[in-house]
Amino acid sequence: MVARVAGVFDEKLTEAIANSKILVVGAGGIGCEILKNLVLTGFPQIEIIDLDTIDVSNLNRQFLFHKEHVGKSKAQVAKDSALSFNPTVNIIAHHDSVISNDYGVSYFKQFNIVMNALDNRVARNHVNRMCLAANVPLIETGTAGYAGQVELIKKGLTQCYECQPKAPQKSFPGCTIRNTPSEPIHCIVWAKHLFNQLFGEEDPDQDVSPDTADPEAAGDAGASALSSEGTAAGNIERKSTRAWASDTNYDPEKLFSKLFGDDIRYLLSMENLWKKRRPPTPLTWDNLPGKDNAPTQHSGLPDQRVWTVHECAQVFAASCKALQTDLKSRPDGDHLVWDKDEKSAMDFVTACANIRAHIFNIQLKSRFEIKSMAGNIIPAIATANAIVAGLAVIRAQALLKGEIETCTSVYLRPKVNHRGQLFVPEKTLTAPNPKCYVCAPKPEVGLACNIKQLTLKDLNTAFKEGLNMQAPDATVEGKGLVVLSSEPGETDHNNEKTLEEIGLNDGCALLVDDFLQNYEVRVRLQQEDDEKSWRLVTDTDTPMPAPKEDKTANGSNGAKEPKPGPSRSKEDSDSDMEIIDEDDDGEPAPKPPKRRRTEISDEVVELC
Amino acid sequence: MVENNELELSEAEAEQYDRQIRLWGLESQKRLRASKVLIIGLSGLGAEIAKNIILSGVKSVCLLDDEKLKETDLYSQFLAPPDKIGENRAESSIQRARALNPMVDITSETKAVDELPDAFFTTFDIVCATGLKQEQLERINNICRDSNKKFLCGDVWGMFGYMFADLIDHEYSEEIVQHKAVKRGPDETEKNARETVSITVKRRAIYVPLQNALSADWTKPELRSRLRRGDPSYFAMKILLRFRDEFNRNPDPAKRKADTEILLRMRDELVKELNIPVGFISDALLTDVFGIVSGAAAVVGGVIGQEVVKAVSQREPPHNNMFFFNPVKCVGFVELYGQ
Ligand SMILES: [Zn+2]
Repeated sequence: MVARVAGVFDEKLTEAIANSKILVVGAGGIGCEILKNLVLTGFPQIEIIDLDTIDVSNLNRQFLFHKEHVGKSKAQVAKDSALSFNPTVNIIAHHDSVISNDYGVSYFKQFNIVMNALDNRVARNHVNRMCLAANVPLIETGTAGYAGQVELIKKGLTQCYECQPKAPQKSFPGCTIRNTPSEPIHCIVWAKHLFNQLFGEEDPDQDVSPDTADPEAAGDAGASALSSEGTAAGNIERKSTRAWASDTNYDPEKLFSKLFGDDIRYLLSMENLWKKRRPPTPLTWDNLPGKDNAPTQHSGLPDQRVWTVHECAQVFAASCKALQTDLKSRPDGDHLVWDKDEKSAMDFVTACANIRAHIFNIQLKSRFEIKSMAGNIIPAIATANAIVAGLAVIRAQALLKGEIETCTSVYLRPKVNHRGQLFVPEKTLTAPNPKCYVCAPKPEVGLACNIKQLTLKDLNTAFKEGLNMQAPDATVEGKGLVVLSSEPGETDHNNEKTLEEIGLNDGCALLVDDFLQNYEVRVRLQQEDDEKSWRLVTDTDTPMPAPKEDKTANGSNGAKEPKPGPSRSKEDSDSDMEIIDEDDDGEPAPKPPKRRRTEISDEVVELC
Repeated sequence: MVENNELELSEAEAEQYDRQIRLWGLESQKRLRASKVLIIGLSGLGAEIAKNIILSGVKSVCLLDDEKLKETDLYSQFLAPPDKIGENRAESSIQRARALNPMVDITSETKAVDELPDAFFTTFDIVCATGLKQEQLERINNICRDSNKKFLCGDVWGMFGYMFADLIDHEYSEEIVQHKAVKRGPDETEKNARETVSITVKRRAIYVPLQNALSADWTKPELRSRLRRGDPSYFAMKILLRFRDEFNRNPDPAKRKADTEILLRMRDELVKELNIPVGFISDALLTDVFGIVSGAAAVVGGVIGQEVVKAVSQREPPHNNMFFFNPVKCVGFVELYGQ
């Protein structure tokens, strides 16, 4: 079939559209709009992938979905709705993660263009590599609030998605979270960690008790305080918070007294911390502020009212009990996963964050605001998605016409620039970064770590999280010795061995390969005695972001779907924004433009 | 002016509109919920505008169109099902429009604008007109003006499009985020957290009617200077509006070659008339102006939808009165005309 009406486009484009095959990755806000434009324009062969299901908060913009579709597959419903616009096109819907052996390089090769409408970096990185490997042009899109962007990625011609190091993720020192919070977000992060300590997956990096190793408290150590609970080293007995809570049968009053009374008194004993800070005020269960307050008039959404401390304590008690019941109903060893859309989990974090905020004289926030911060919600509207999707399909048309050199990145700005531009195209394509460890002809990257301490298991994590590989295989360059194998069982017995123990040393190079991504990179090991974990070192720039990502900080619906992939709802938007600072004078810009990533950050906790 | 509806949002509304309330705030959402919108012309552009406005959660939308659904509409018009060809475009769009958001009241009107009395147009808070002739646009604009109702219009021809807005005397609030350092400890020297405070400021913007913007005087130095570094989109719009007025239709995909010749001739006439440098309005800009291309309708409909949301919620600065999408450069820009 040809594009629907002759004469709308010139013959060349009409013909090219008629013979095209397009893959749309993601059926969220932008994906729905892209699919609509493609179908109406008469693109005859379309595949769409999304592993997510429809949520009521999608309906303000994902217009192919209606209330009766809540809970159903986004890809399938999007296909059905789009077919009603033009029943003659052929759409294949996949309710699936794009990160899967089912979608290998040969799968990608069958498309003329891949269009990304994703909401998370992991899947974007992956599709970037698949398109590089398959040498298929990729149109990458994103929006955040009023802003958005469309960017073409073509192997050898343009930057790839990973050519520029991503902005470091916002991080808070562990001691700020545990000892000296000064902003609401510090209390929110603490409350999410507390949730995991009590009900979720226990992570030693998410300790919520006072941190006696705080360098600011040095020489002080609080040994005098609460000596009955202290060890000889002045540290609190490391009984797991979970075990302790379980022993008290999650008695809210006892939990409250420890977390918001005893622990705070312990912190007060670390006097050095409070020489230049306002000290916290411990609370007692029976005497909480706001207890006798008359109900106040509130206008706005119920969730926008800020609770009193007394109310927070009531909610704390109720949500503790509800979460305990939920945990008990699960098989032994199972745990809860924090989710902003689970009522008790959100109540718990709101209450705990606010009680702690009150103790530290920090402004209390409403449940509505805390949900935004704790769940990393990026606002999303129909109009910005429509504009970005429209521009993306216009770019796809130009690609099919063979005008690839005109397909520069376009930025939708929240407000016009000084030249009155609302959609700002770059003047030229941005050339690839020759040092990119993904798209360079011979990709290379450094891995700084302490070879005496880093285990093979950690190395595997570094390749997965740092290099975004799905199933890494690693051999020693020149020797062929297999260090890591993606085949289950082949190298697992070495998991706990350090790199030194298996004979690796400073300067040694590993060839690391991901079969699915058809991606191989040479990794040079760099010994650093002080490195507690690992970090990537690229030739050109400053060190890459620290890997200690707070796994709960992204508000993901991880419980439903542990696999990364399209619309994992990591941020519930089509975000991952990159806004260009346009040049001021209209002069041609020979150097690659500066970029400012305005992406939402998952907070990361560093160890002090 | 849209009155702020004091009634609180229901739980269902709060849930459905959550992601946009987090962007534009509860007050805007309440104002949206109180506003009545008229959309004239259910082409692909009209459908895009309707979709965006209905999703935003206004009180009501009236779809006005006396035309019948044609096959070429289906290129971009997704509200009318393909089996309704030959039926009224507004009526055949109602069912899908309602499904987009059952909380919005959707009606249709199938009379031609020329048959409707002035009083009809003033029952709405804001009017968005597409596909009309210049004379019709000016009539409705002036009716709206006299009753202090806001007016927007726009069109997409092929890949090219424009928008015009007359918000009359528009008051709006703008949130400005400021950073201030806060002292937290007893020791004043302690470097400490910075708090962001947002303050809301009230502002005003004064608009001119469409006839002023369309009769901009290009002999004036401030406009002549635009010719040097400017974009020819304003003139492309003038040519395409003239084509519609003269031939009582838009350029026809089936007559692509013949109509292109007419357009280029009209271009040459305009160049003479306004003394514009030859070559300023390139052939390329007048090449892809046939039918309505879905991507372009989405882009222009997105901008118009967002301006309607800003206008009725009286939040965030609205754009200057004209927006153009130039597909040759893939640039979208805003300019002020007629002042
Ligand atoms: Zn690259």
